[in-house]
Amino acid sequence: MLVVKPQVMPPVIHPVDLVQTLRHKRLTPAIVFLTSRRACDEAIDSFEHRNVPLPAHRSRTIAQVLDHVIRLYPSVAQHPLLPTVQRYGVAAHHAGHLPSWKIAVEELMRHGCLDAVFATTTLAAGVDFPARTVVITQSSVRKARDLTELTVSEIQQLSGRGGRRGKDLVGFVVVTPSPYIDLHVITRGLTGNPEPIHSQFVISYPMVLNLLKAHTLDHIKSILEKSFAQFQLNQQATALEEKLETVEAQLAAFGPRPCADWITQWHWFNLAQTHRRPRHAICQDAPPILARLPFLTPGRVVGLPKGRGVVLRRYRSRSQHRAMLTVLNTQERIIECPVAQVTEIYDHTLNIEPARVFPWCTPKSLQRLMREVRELPQHLQGFPLPEDTGNDSVMLPEPLTDEFPCPMCPSQPACRKDYTKAWRLRQEHQQLTKTIHAIRSQLWHRFQQHVEVLQQFGYLTATCQLTADGEWARLIRINHSLLLTELIRMDAFTGIEPALLVGVLASIAHEDDRPGIFPRRSPALASVLGQVRTVAHSLASYEDPPLLRSDVAALGELWISQPSLSWGEFVRTTTMAEGDVYRLLARTLEYVSQLHNLKATHPGLADIADQAMQLMRRDVLQELP
Amino acid sequence: MRTDDLKQLLHEQPVKRLHWLAKGRIHRHFRLGKARLIQALLALPPEQHHQILDDLSRLRPSTQRTATRHPSQGSRAHPRSETPRLATPSHPDQRESCVTVADLLEGIGVPPPQPFHPDAWQEEAITRLREGDVIVSVPTGSGKTYVAIEAARQAMAVDRTVIYTSPLKALSNTKLTEFVQLFGADRVGILTGERRHNPHAPLLIMTTEILRNLLYDAAGGEIDMRLDTLGLVILDESQYLADPERGVVWEETIILCPTQARLLLLSASIGNPEEIAEWIRHIRAVPCTLIQHHHRSVPLRAGYLHPSGKLTPLFTTRDIPRGQPHALHPETRRLFAEYERETLGSRGH
Ligand SMILES: Nc1ncnc2c1ncn2[C@@H]1O[C@H](COP(=O)(O)OP(=O)(O)O)[C@@H](O)[C@H]1O
Repeated sequence: MLVVKPQVMPPVIHPVDLVQTLRHKRLTPAIVFLTSRRACDEAIDSFEHRNVPLPAHRSRTIAQVLDHVIRLYPSVAQHPLLPTVQRYGVAAHHAGHLPSWKIAVEELMRHGCLDAVFATTTLAAGVDFPARTVVITQSSVRKARDLTELTVSEIQQLSGRGGRRGKDLVGFVVVTPSPYIDLHVITRGLTGNPEPIHSQFVISYPMVLNLLKAHTLDHIKSILEKSFAQFQLNQQATALEEKLETVEAQLAAFGPRPCADWITQWHWFNLAQTHRRPRHAICQDAPPILARLPFLTPGRVVGLPKGRGVVLRRYRSRSQHRAMLTVLNTQERIIECPVAQVTEIYDHTLNIEPARVFPWCTPKSLQRLMREVRELPQHLQGFPLPEDTGNDSVMLPEPLTDEFPCPMCPSQPACRKDYTKAWRLRQEHQQLTKTIHAIRSQLWHRFQQHVEVLQQFGYLTATCQLTADGEWARLIRINHSLLLTELIRMDAFTGIEPALLVGVLASIAHEDDRPGIFPRRSPALASVLGQVRTVAHSLASYEDPPLLRSDVAALGELWISQPSLSWGEFVRTTTMAEGDVYRLLARTLEYVSQLHNLKATHPGLADIADQAMQLMRRDVLQELP
Repeated sequence: MRTDDLKQLLHEQPVKRLHWLAKGRIHRHFRLGKARLIQALLALPPEQHHQILDDLSRLRPSTQRTATRHPSQGSRAHPRSETPRLATPSHPDQRESCVTVADLLEGIGVPPPQPFHPDAWQEEAITRLREGDVIVSVPTGSGKTYVAIEAARQAMAVDRTVIYTSPLKALSNTKLTEFVQLFGADRVGILTGERRHNPHAPLLIMTTEILRNLLYDAAGGEIDMRLDTLGLVILDESQYLADPERGVVWEETIILCPTQARLLLLSASIGNPEEIAEWIRHIRAVPCTLIQHHHRSVPLRAGYLHPSGKLTPLFTTRDIPRGQPHALHPETRRLFAEYERETLGSRGH
């Protein structure tokens, strides 16, 4: 008998076969979403290899439509894909192409000239026109170098382009597998509800300056409260407040006790009792150590010879009964150290949920502590610690035990019974109150942090008025605004060549770290960039420094320093795709125009910016408004 | 066919079949009894009735049809796996309840030209704008541009300025061409960071960042004529609110938008439009209407194309079954499992 071997299937359908199949089933025109720009370009190339051209009349129509587009956008005529599009009726479009090419593809689709457009899923620079069919070949996309699953919203945005109103009775999504596919992600995306929107509100320096220019602090507070961010935070807070109420109700159930704050009272009583046991050991401690002990409760922030830390537990060393601490330090290490080494005890405690075993608190609270320890404020109020002279005024746990009224108190049995639960509830209560407060005041707090920085740099007065510098700095409304305004203030751009200015701004604007080949930079640019880097570095704790790539700067410089260079020649000096180069220059142009807005205060700089803008806007950069 | 006849026909069907018909059409249909099922099916929009009839008429001869169709269409790559299934239709019910590829592809074509009638939701959005803000969250391709155009026309008719914002300069450009054709070149302007074209036109196109900057300047005392007479702000692609880098700009624009101007937020389907409407109601003095639906104006169907070239329906139903990600067509399930096996196997070599 003949044994039929299982046929090895190609992992992906060949693009030409795909388009043939779609044509055959009357599913064209189609938009085919592929994983990468390269995949799109290769798909188009493969049509050249198979060489199955369109009938002549269709090629003619395509040529007519293209002629029309070229009249409006001459750069389209230079596009390397032009012959392929005419011959095979398929096109590629992705962020590597110029916006004018996108317009051409869109126009061809609108006239129904194409059978398929191969595109990447990036919506920002990708397709936003419909077709009869959308082909999905992947369930994840590359975002910032990681593969992430497509969200339901994204899948619905992609598939939503299937079916043109007025041109199609029905539309289709066709899923075809590739090694990048998880079918379930796609079916979930097609059938599910899109993800809810979460606020992405962030406070920035220009925002603070512009708000303070127009409004009083009180008014700004109410403006921030109007944000969707605060709206969503309030919902979180309300949910927590409900929880808080139940905790309060549970606490109230214990009823009134002889001591108003019986829980704290019992906490100390309890502590004092536990400390009684190693009485002989305590007696060996020197008075300064004895003085420190009552403060060194878990959660206390202390200073050690090498930085600060938070106390996780207190114990006695087995051999010498020395008072010891387990401390979580700012390097996130858990270390043991004798109490005698504590240099400072701060009037600051962090919340901690103690546990009986290492690391002496619950993993969750350890996580939180690590963060909180790192974020401790610079200046903390310390307790005055008695030096070596033993002082009577210090509270010692030992003699205190006898002063507690608890042993005689009629409610002692009830307190003893309820204490553990009440203490837990009390802790939860404090935790919730803190969290709610943090949630409600989060935006305002961040606003104030920004105000402080701007005051420190002299953009705002102590009373939150804009200084002379603040008045113009508020017109710089871009990422890295602090870097730019500081550079202007230190005259880094005074009398600078337009080409150098554009180079520097390009390197500030560019946010992509993919390597490539670029033109050489001039020594002058290298020296300015060096200066910019130093400034950016010194600002790093107030604003994330930009990449400041010198190769990208050189590209910006070249476009200005050689005004006779055509776009085609220019793009050939780098391995960056022309769409990326275009976006880089467009974004740089925006930055330059912000400097141009400083006419009133910096006429010289505005003038240079103006020259730079004139020089930048030529060729392709002039095609779109 | 009249509704009464359909009702009669439905009554004659076994409950199981009614459930099958309800799949993907009626939410939680498995909870309903026969009478309520029929009620719910009849309550569907009339165009669905035709599909229900189609589906019903296809039910009985279905085994035959698949048997005659498959050999001509079937993939040559898997003759062995196909044949036994055809010879022993062991699960007639399962097969019966699934669409075939012919059903999937039925009705492809171009609709005859029709006079333009705005959809009810489009009209509602436009009228509601007279009394307050409007948020539109509808599937892509439904016709949000029409709402933007009519709303702009309505505001311009009473000498108010209209600002239309899009997230991308490239989109601004497309809109410029479109609006110039409709309203004339002198009535449409465009503002970008470094260029102002016809800045005193009653309809201004810009990116959301530019509008935010205008609002900053206006609040800071730089009087801008355009904002005095501003009557309508259209924020297209409002789902950008969720953009990690730029979402804040949409928020600022909405917060700082002058009270006398109406807000029109146009967005693709999003998960929590009600929450956003609630927020806007909370911060603005005028009422805010949410216009939302999930209905696709052009029905969307899903297919699975195997690398061998074989096309099968992706789901057991013809239309995409909302809320049922697991309703995979058995044939697709089998083919995909095969694909995974093969690719995993070949990776091992
Ligand atoms: N009421 C309607 N009847 C018929 N076609 C419409 C209607 N409204 C819009 N269209 C058409 O639907 C298509 C998609 O509209 P568009 O506004 O681009 O969708 P969206 O912005 O919602 O994605 C356009 O070609 C438009 O002419």
